[in-house]
Amino acid sequence: MSPAGIVLARRPRARRFLAGPGVPPGVAAAALFLGLVAVWVVAPGLAPHDPALIRPGDAYQGPSSAHLLGTDPLGRDVLSRLIDGARTAVLAPLTLAAGTIAVSTTLAVLAGYLRGWVDAVISRVVDVLYSIPALMVAIVIVGVTGGGFGLSIIVLLVFGLPANVRVLRAAVMERAALPYVEAARTLGVSTPRIMLTQLVPAIGPLVITSFFLQITFAIVDLSSLSFLGLGVPPGASDWGRMMAENRATMSANFFSTAAPGLCLAAVAVSANVLGDWLYTRYEQAGRSR
Amino acid sequence: MSTTGNEAARDTAGPATSDRAAAAHRRGGRSPALRMLATRSVGAVAVLLAVTVVVFLFVHLAPGGPEQALAGREATPEQLAAIRARYGLDDPLWQQYLRYLGALTHLDLGTSLLRREPVTRSIGQAAGVTAPLVLISWLLAAVAGTALGMFTALRAGSRLDRVVLALTVLAASTPVFATGLLLAWVFGIQLDWLPVLGAGRDGGDRARYLVLPILTTTLVLLASSTRFARVRIGQILEEDQVTFARARGLSTSYVLVRIVLRNAAVQTITLSGAVLIAMLGGLVVVEQVFALPGLGTLLVTAIGARDIPVIQGVTLVVAVAVVVVNLVVDLLCLAVDPRMRRGLEVDR
Repeated sequence: MSPAGIVLARRPRARRFLAGPGVPPGVAAAALFLGLVAVWVVAPGLAPHDPALIRPGDAYQGPSSAHLLGTDPLGRDVLSRLIDGARTAVLAPLTLAAGTIAVSTTLAVLAGYLRGWVDAVISRVVDVLYSIPALMVAIVIVGVTGGGFGLSIIVLLVFGLPANVRVLRAAVMERAALPYVEAARTLGVSTPRIMLTQLVPAIGPLVITSFFLQITFAIVDLSSLSFLGLGVPPGASDWGRMMAENRATMSANFFSTAAPGLCLAAVAVSANVLGDWLYTRYEQAGRSR
Repeated sequence: MSTTGNEAARDTAGPATSDRAAAAHRRGGRSPALRMLATRSVGAVAVLLAVTVVVFLFVHLAPGGPEQALAGREATPEQLAAIRARYGLDDPLWQQYLRYLGALTHLDLGTSLLRREPVTRSIGQAAGVTAPLVLISWLLAAVAGTALGMFTALRAGSRLDRVVLALTVLAASTPVFATGLLLAWVFGIQLDWLPVLGAGRDGGDRARYLVLPILTTTLVLLASSTRFARVRIGQILEEDQVTFARARGLSTSYVLVRIVLRNAAVQTITLSGAVLIAMLGGLVVVEQVFALPGLGTLLVTAIGARDIPVIQGVTLVVAVAVVVVNLVVDLLCLAVDPRMRRGLEVDR
């Protein structure tokens, strides 16, 4: 087709990625993988070996029937460490994302419904936070104070707020202008009650979507911190830390570095894919209503 | 563009007037662009002052207090006392802060405890590695992202569009060190095309060492810039002005460059600034992956050794960089969009 034809042709609205009826294979794969990791989280006993057991004699081994993914430079079983690391790799980002979204939703509902000075204060603070490099600040703060994992989660939580507050606040303002909210106000329903029973449920789907997307950012940021050796304590079988420790010996056992990397990427991509799919579904539901 | 239309849009609160000079005079006699620039500059200075306060307090936040931070962990009580006296740590905090600010005006960032050299020299050397890495990646990602976004927006829904979209999801959600290690393994170890560790010695040699780090950074930045350009250009293509331009028989290239790109410019520039700032933390990781002696490595090494003056210095440099990027973004937006030069509300 000629370039002019491409611009000029009015195509029918194309079906978007991950849209339409049914569950696309990408989403199914993402859900399946997250399910596997969830099993690892609840049942760390599945690990074939003790993840912390150091056996120098077994170091640098490639995959074998005894060690499915080989061993690391200290002779520890990579698969066992992978399974053991699932808890920090998944639960910490989940906590971080849940905290970020909970605070964001609260601030967004307050700002978007009350408006006035509350909105002004929240919006200005959000604007300032928006232009600060989150991971950089986390690296410096955690590094200088020597604070551990908890502190990194708090810092990343604060800096995860801006983007979410903006999106959710816009959604609240859209809903707050609708007649049913005005009707509730006219009936004398109290302001906190309107927020809790009318506004929060109305933006619920968007909150869940933001939560999934936030998990991706949380995984990327937290694993970057542990890759740098900040946050998680030494010796912990954290996926980011495993990659940092094993990468120098990548040619001896490729999987000791590649497996945690693949798992991290797969969890983050899965969360992102699920979030995207939910968002598209939500958007379409809004359009057809 | 009609002047009266602009004025009506601008003065929504007051009575609409077509006399632009009078309106400008009422608001302080300067053009809106200059006014915006002035407020932004004042804001930038305020932000930088706030950053100096925080950075100054680093010394006091460090475990063991400032004297421990300056003397190192193995200092004897006598050494600690000497440090307290020498740096005036028993003075009121505000006096110490003013001294710190005074030293800053002479570009004196103190002396590195680990490297035994002025912090400014360490930072200067490290910036020689980081600056090309940041600037080239940023430029590549902005240009390629816009091009790719437009290319796919024009073929919305095609297989190519979906493949690119899937790749952006993949690149954006993979931790940057995983991307970097994969590239290093493929191009550095398996294919043995490029060096993987260090920054080389000089000009041409350094360029070879920077290829993989730049590729890694660009890939991550490209993911967000492509995705954003795709969405924004897709929106503009659906607008009436594009339909109308086509109906007038304007050429495709004219429509794309004069209408679509110009309309997308402000948001694209704003976003590429925001993405660059968000990427600063990722740059630290990239430098660690490729063992580049840049600002990020300087920072991480300093953190490991509790080298507080270097941590303070790098933090200040990063803060200045963030403020400068924000100012440059504002200036570029003013240069690109005539509506902003006239002080109209523009959705960014």
